[in-house]
This record gives sequence, C-alpha cells and structure tokens, in this order.
Amino acid sequence: MAEVEDTLKRIQSINGVIGTIVVNAEGIPIRSTLDNSTSVQYAGLLHQLTMKARGTVRDIDPQNDLSFLRIRSKKHEIMVSTGGL
Amino acid sequence: MSNTTVRQKRTALKVAKSSKTLNVSSGVFRGNQSITKSINPSISGKSFSSASDSKVLDKSLAQTPKHTVQVFDDHGQDVTPHPLFIPDPGVLQPKQGKIFPAHDTSWTTVTDFPSIAFQTTNASFTGPFTKSFFGSVSASRTSQTTESVTDETKDLLVKPDLSSSLSDVQARREEVKEQVREDIIDRVVDSYLTETETIWLLDIPAVSVSEDSEDAEAIKERNQAYTELCKSRLGNDKYVERSMQTFNDAPKTKEVQSDSITMVDKAVMSTTWDMYDSFCNKGDVSENIVVSAEGNKAIVPDSSSMSPLLNPGGPDQSMSVFSTISTVSGSSAYLEKMTCVLPVVEEPDLELILQSDKFKQDLAVMERVVLANIFQPKLAAYRQLPVIEDPDCVETQTEEESWTEQSKNPLSPFLEHLWVFKCELTEGRNVSCMTWNKKNPDLLAVGYGELDFKDQKPGLVCCWSLKNPTWPDRIFHCESGITALDFSACNASQLAVGMYDGTIAIYNVQTTEQTPIIDSSDCANMHACPVWQLRWVDHDTGLAGEDQGEMLISVSGDGRISKWIHYKGLECVDLMKLKSPNMIVNKQRWNPKILSLAPGLCFDFHPNDSKIYLAGTEEGHIHKCSYSYNEQFLETYKAHTGPVYKVTWSPFCPDVFLSCSSDWTIYLWRQDLTKPVLGFTAGQKVVFDIKWSPHCATVFGAVREGKVEIWDLRVSSLDPTIASVTSPGVNPTALLFTPETDCVLVGDSEGQVTVYKLKNLPAGDSTQVEALEDVIRTTLSSQHTLGKTDRDA
Repeated sequence: MAEVEDTLKRIQSINGVIGTIVVNAEGIPIRSTLDNSTSVQYAGLLHQLTMKARGTVRDIDPQNDLSFLRIRSKKHEIMVSTGGL
Repeated sequence: MSNTTVRQKRTALKVAKSSKTLNVSSGVFRGNQSITKSINPSISGKSFSSASDSKVLDKSLAQTPKHTVQVFDDHGQDVTPHPLFIPDPGVLQPKQGKIFPAHDTSWTTVTDFPSIAFQTTNASFTGPFTKSFFGSVSASRTSQTTESVTDETKDLLVKPDLSSSLSDVQARREEVKEQVREDIIDRVVDSYLTETETIWLLDIPAVSVSEDSEDAEAIKERNQAYTELCKSRLGNDKYVERSMQTFNDAPKTKEVQSDSITMVDKAVMSTTWDMYDSFCNKGDVSENIVVSAEGNKAIVPDSSSMSPLLNPGGPDQSMSVFSTISTVSGSSAYLEKMTCVLPVVEEPDLELILQSDKFKQDLAVMERVVLANIFQPKLAAYRQLPVIEDPDCVETQTEEESWTEQSKNPLSPFLEHLWVFKCELTEGRNVSCMTWNKKNPDLLAVGYGELDFKDQKPGLVCCWSLKNPTWPDRIFHCESGITALDFSACNASQLAVGMYDGTIAIYNVQTTEQTPIIDSSDCANMHACPVWQLRWVDHDTGLAGEDQGEMLISVSGDGRISKWIHYKGLECVDLMKLKSPNMIVNKQRWNPKILSLAPGLCFDFHPNDSKIYLAGTEEGHIHKCSYSYNEQFLETYKAHTGPVYKVTWSPFCPDVFLSCSSDWTIYLWRQDLTKPVLGFTAGQKVVFDIKWSPHCATVFGAVREGKVEIWDLRVSSLDPTIASVTSPGVNPTALLFTPETDCVLVGDSEGQVTVYKLKNLPAGDSTQVEALEDVIRTTLSSQHTLGKTDRDA
C-alpha cells in the first residue's frame, strides 16, 4: 500500500507531469491530482477511447489485449496504462 | 362423464359416435367424443339423422368448449339451462372458410365436419358439400346431407379401429380408467405409429391449364363461350341486374383493456471479442444456465423431455445447454451477460483497487513510460540508437551553448554525460562497488558503503534499472557497509553481497524482501575483516566432481581467500591463505594463520583458465595462485609500494594484467615477467579502481581521487586519453564499463552513479589485440635495451 502511494507520488513529482488520474473499471476517477471537473471530463473521454481501442485490438485477435495507450497532441501527451499486461 | 345422460337423449348421435373415433386435435368436440388411446382417425359410415335432435345438437355446440353439462333436479328432469343465444334456424349461418367448415355451426352433420376437414379433402369434395350445406336450411336437408355425407365418406379411406359399440365403450370407460393408472405404469405399451393420410390444408385449384393437356381444347372452347357470354350479357334478357340485401348480424361492441405493452429498444453489437469472452466463460457459467433452464420450464417447449437430459456428467450436458440457449430466448443469455459482467464489478472498493497487484504493475509501467519519455535522448545515446529530436520541443539554445563549451576541440575524445542514478536514499553515501546483472544487461546493482574504517553506517544495496534512473527497482538495507557485490551467472537473480564486517549474504532480487536467502553470519569461520571482493566463478574445466558448477569466492582483510558452498547454510573452505612472503620461510605449524597473513584486497580469476587467479594484498604484492594448490603461490609480483586495490586480467590478451594501487601507480604486467611492463602515473592521486574496456584491448579506465581517466595505449602510454575532472569534493570511487555499448559508469562518494558515453575514441575494426601486444613488445624491447645500457653503464 505504501509502495503504491510512493510510486504515485514519484510519478506526480516527475518534472513535466501535469496531473495523474486513477480510474476504476467503470470510468469513474477514484484518485486525482487535478480538480474534480477536469478529472471527470478526462476520465469519461479517455475511458470511452480506451474501450474503443481495446475493442479494436481484441476484435483482431481476441487473445490479445490493450496494454498502453498514448495520445500525443500539439500541447501535451496523454498516457493511459490499462490493465491488460 | 356426462355421456351417460347423453345416451338417453341423443340416441341418434350415439350410433355415430360408437363407430367413430376422432382425431385428438378436434378439440372443439372433444367433450362429445369418446377419446380412446388410439389416435387413428377413422370415419365409418355415418348414417344418422339428427333432425330430431337439432336442439340438443345446438346445446352441445354451444357448450362444446367444455364438457357438456347436464343439470338435473331431484326428479330427474332435465333443467339444464338453455343457452342464451339461439341462432335463428332460418338464418343462414355465415359461411366460414372452405378450409375449416368445422367452425360453422350448421345444423347438419356438424360433428363430422372436423373429421372431414382433417381428412383428405379435395376441391371437388368441398364443392358439392357446401352446396348441400347451403341448401340444407330446412329440416329436410338433413337427409340430403346425410346422403351426401355418406356418399362422400365412402370415398374416404376408412381405417377401422376399435369399432366396438358405444355402450361397450361407455361401460368400460370407468373401469378402464381405473385400471389405467395401475397397469399402465408397468405395462409395456406398444404404440403403433402409422402414417396418416396426407392432410390437405390448402388446395387452390390451378387456374391455368397447359396447352398440351388433353382437355385443353375443351377448356379453350369453354373460355371462348364464356367471353362471348360476357360480351352478350349487357343487352341480354337472361341477365338482369338485381340487388340484394345482405343481412348483417347485430353488432356488439366489445372492449378490452390490457396493460400497456412497454417497448424497450435494445441493441447489442456483437464483436469478436465479446463472443470469445462468452465462449471462454461458458465453462464456468454452464451450471448457472442449467439452473435457469430448470427454472424456466414454462418457456421451454418440451420441458418434460429436457429434464432427463440435464444430468451432470452426461455427454448430453453440453447439448442440453446449447439447446436451452436456443429455446430459452432471453433468460439464459441474460444470465451469461450477468456473469460476464460480474467479475468486472467485483472490486468497487477503492482500497481494493489501490492495493491490487495489477495496479502496482500498471503504476510501474506508467512511471517507466513517463521517464522513458524524458530520458529518451539519453537512453538512445546509451543504446547507440539514433537520437530523435523531439519535434515539439523548443529548447535548443541552451543546449548548443553547453555543447560548445564542452567540446572546444570537437574531435578530441571526451566523456559525454548522459544521466545520473541517484535518489534521496543514496545521498551522502559512498559508492563502493557496482556490477551488472549477467542475464539482464539493463540491471545494475550498486553497493553503498564507506571504505574507511571510520564513518561506518548501515549499508545499502540498490538495484537500478536503466529504464528508471530516478528510483531503484530494489532496495536492500544491510547492517554494515557494502564492500563487494557480484551477480551469479547461473541463477541470474542471486546477488552476493560482501560487507564491511565480513558477512556475506546472498539476496534474491526477484522479490522485494529485505532478508537475504542466506548469509554467513552463522558460519564458524566467517571472515573477520571486510570482504573486499566477491566473485561467482564457474569451474567447468573438468575438475573433480563436487567442484563443478558455480562457486562463490571471496577475499577478505583477514588474509584468506575462501570458497563458499551453499549447503544447509553457507560453509566456507579456504582456498588460500595469503601469507606474507617473509613468513613463508619460517612456517610455524602451530599458529601461522593469524600473524602472518597479509590482508587481501582483490583477486581475479583468469578468463580462460579458471584455475589460476591473481590476488593482491595490502603489502603491495600480487600473488599468482592455483585453485588446486593452496599451500604456495605460483608467482609473486612485487612492484607496488602500497596496497593493491585492484588487479584485472585483460579480457583479450591472455597474459596481460593490470594492477592499481594507492601508491598513485597503475602497472601493466605480463604473466611471465616479474617486473611490470608499463607503469601509468598521471598525478599524485590514489587510484581506486581500474577496469579493462570490454571492446578494445588497448583501452582501460581508471578512477583516481578527483579524476576519471580513460587510457588508450595506442594513442599514448604516458597520458590518459580522456581525463575528466569531477566536481571538487567528490571522489569517484568505482568504475564500470558497459558490456554492450561504449559507456562507462562512475560511482562517486556522494552516492551518485553517473553514466558517461565515450566519445571520439579511436575505434578499430578488431579488438586491437595485436596493437596491445605491439605496444608491449616495443616497450619491452626498449626496456631491454635500456637495461642493457644501464648495466653497461
């Protein structure tokens, strides 16, 4: 438990990281360093995209699964680590 | 059964009934008929006149859905209530479809209608039949119809069956019924299945006839006659336009109220993975489906036949499950969906999620990815991959400036600083040793411990991964400072740690447990002084049986080189005692150990011949020893005037080795010469560590107090090719080359491990072994001549 907290803190303290959101299986943010509205917005949008991406990957090969998703935009980069490792 | 009473009233009907058994499916008249077990439809000659019993018929018709109920008062009079609706006998009953004239409530052979309907009928049959039907409103028609019926029935096939008289049947009915229950259970019943006649349900006569048929001509003539008739119809007297009024039945309004049928739109996208998931989960859910099948028997059409199939373990199990799914429309599918969804919804608890291993793993991945983003150019340079410029990154100005400062002469070799392994745990500690994992070239173990006898504090071993330079993957706290480390080659996860107090511990780096697998604190003859070097050595050169495999060998300040065996605890066997040379002569048997042993500081096994090894002592001597002979040294090399900190064989030239010492010198030796071939001194600083480059035979690195030096003997043997000064106050204390790329790691006294890339070193095609040998040869020859001239002089 403490390990998890430490890791979370370390990730957040890396230079360049704007915010961290932990989302449960339904897409509801359970822990976040951003404000509530932003968290909910990000969580909802990214959850949909992650589901779609996972569906795509598994449609091609059902034994495969999505492990990581990166969205690089002009201003930022969003990284989503899903549970499919 | 009310038929007993019927007997009295409907004598006419009785006859018909007795000789007739009906199809079970004539549900309308079931009450009136005697249902026997045989299902063969049969029609025998029906000669009955029901004229007198029209009323009774009517009664029976009206009440046909249920058993005919006769109510009698005490006097035996029939007081059965009349039906409320008595259709007027003069009213023509509405004609139903030709197909099922059974539903017509006609006055005539009503009871026969269903049977006839289910028999083979053909168009010609129904034609005259209906005509007779319409014409039979009057009482006299019954006879006509009976005649017609009898005519037609003769055409039909007759299947004689139990044509016993009704009375017999009636009499036996009750008894048979009683017996049925008892006998039937035990009796084996022969049921005869016969094919019924083809039942025509619909026969629409063809309207067109082929031209080739026989009566084509006749039909053509008739058609023609007909068309002429139509033409001449208009003015013809034979045909008169006349209107008729049809009778409409009294309409009746009827209202029905029902619950509103709620409609729900439901859509599911059937995806490949969804089907795969359901398929995989089917094995777990099959029992649930079975349960649902049993619970929803009403929906399953043949529920009675399903139950024997639902035996667990029967081979039909799966079959039944599938059939259940196909028949039970929504329920089992719903159940499946439920069970698929359930595992997802199992952890709504925040704490559970945060503690789950998967989450930890995800976090670790995320951390590494983010760091990989940040360190990408450095790691790319490390791994000798092309460094990709970040297209969105705008910081070029400052980098260029730092570049120009660094490389005044862009072609001269230098050390490019890549990154630093450090974290708050390691601040202030002294790096004493570093080693790479033998299996995973990205894993680095660093030991932190003070080398002086003062400032001793608890030691730390960190396993760093290249993928995360900000936090070590494993942290092991130890009681005393770490002085030696080595990874095993056989079990790549075993890390041997030597400490300042002489303890040796073996850790398993796969877990994060803080306790070592084993340590030597229980061993009787453990080292009493710091373990200065550890090495896992693989003796596979055909030694005696038990010595094969990998062994841990250590050298310690108490002058012993020991071999450790992991057998119910760590046991050690002394390979060699480093006796001081002057004491060898007068060996005292009673207690030579303590007094005359010189503390050993380093050792190195020959890369090719693992029986030979070198050991350096605090007295400045280097001894060449043999594994199998632990009494005497094979050779002693004396040149250093101070403790020999490190001695290493050259990985390319089998005879050459280097040694470094605190007397500011580095010596290059050849095995067969007792005097060093070359000496390297650049400044009056203690040399802590020295290592050969794994790529080039002429390159080696050394760390002094305050400087990191890379020597290349092709270029110069007087000056280091690269001499990089570290920040003041910080002493590099450990050096490590990377086996695969051209980088070098330097550990310093502040707990930092810096990764440098060797830039602009003269590269060669081969490992330059010849170059090294050339250098040695030339040096030797020049020495020789010098020596000669000296002697001469």
